[in-house]
Amino acid sequence: MAKPTTVRIPDELLNEIDQFAQELELDRSAYLIQVLQKGFSVDKQERLLLKYVRGELSQMEVCRKLNWTPWEFLSRLKEKNLYLNVTLEDWQDSAQLVQ
Amino acid sequence: MSQMVADSSSLILLARCNLVERVCDLFEVIVPPAVTSEVASQRLVREYSDASLISDLISKGAIRTQSVARAGFPLSISLDQGEKEALLLAIELGKLQLATDDGKAIKAARFLGVPFAITPKIVVELHRLQRISFKMATESSEMLGRIGRYSPEIIGDALLSLVEQKNGKADNRKDT
Repeated sequence: MAKPTTVRIPDELLNEIDQFAQELELDRSAYLIQVLQKGFSVDKQERLLLKYVRGELSQMEVCRKLNWTPWEFLSRLKEKNLYLNVTLEDWQDSAQLVQ
Repeated sequence: MSQMVADSSSLILLARCNLVERVCDLFEVIVPPAVTSEVASQRLVREYSDASLISDLISKGAIRTQSVARAGFPLSISLDQGEKEALLLAIELGKLQLATDDGKAIKAARFLGVPFAITPKIVVELHRLQRISFKMATESSEMLGRIGRYSPEIIGDALLSLVEQKNGKADNRKDT
């Protein structure tokens, strides 16, 4: 169920949104909901991936929070031009294989 | 045969660089049940061919699933279930080597004194142990950079190690 909320938006931004919604004949309220959903999704990904890169979240913790499979994780990193959070020090400390 | 415990990040990268079967031939690879569900659930097997490969290896016993006795044991570093179970399993089995490609899991392993191996190192080591050719090792390393999203610094170091191993062998042959 949708709930009402109040947000203070700068005049300039609100005017721009209103003008754009009118030009495209979009319902202002429905359009704002779409923008919020899209923006939240992108921002959530960016913030969680930043925490991953910093080593504050593990790969599977990110997958769980973003509802990704571990198999798609690598392609998502590629899309964002990010690398695994394994450091050069980890590579140097990685143990030799014992047979 | 030596044993190693693997988490999801490592199994996925080994599969992506075509080495998971080779590693299973050389090591008894053990995974906790949470890792099996993370990488090879029925849905994932339908969607990803490499998940299907891992599922087959589990069915054939080439990858052994083993439960953790103390799965609820608290860790000072938070991890997801599969990463945590893999780490605890490595400890329970006498601090076995943990194959992982996750920075946070590595941090936890280091803190608990568990030896860890990242996939580029596994590739270099397989070459050192003469289990894969130089060509295969370089191709796998390059795939780890391209598909596996390993940083260029680590892949550069890995390729350098492979070249040094190759030249070292060539020098040794010259000496004899």
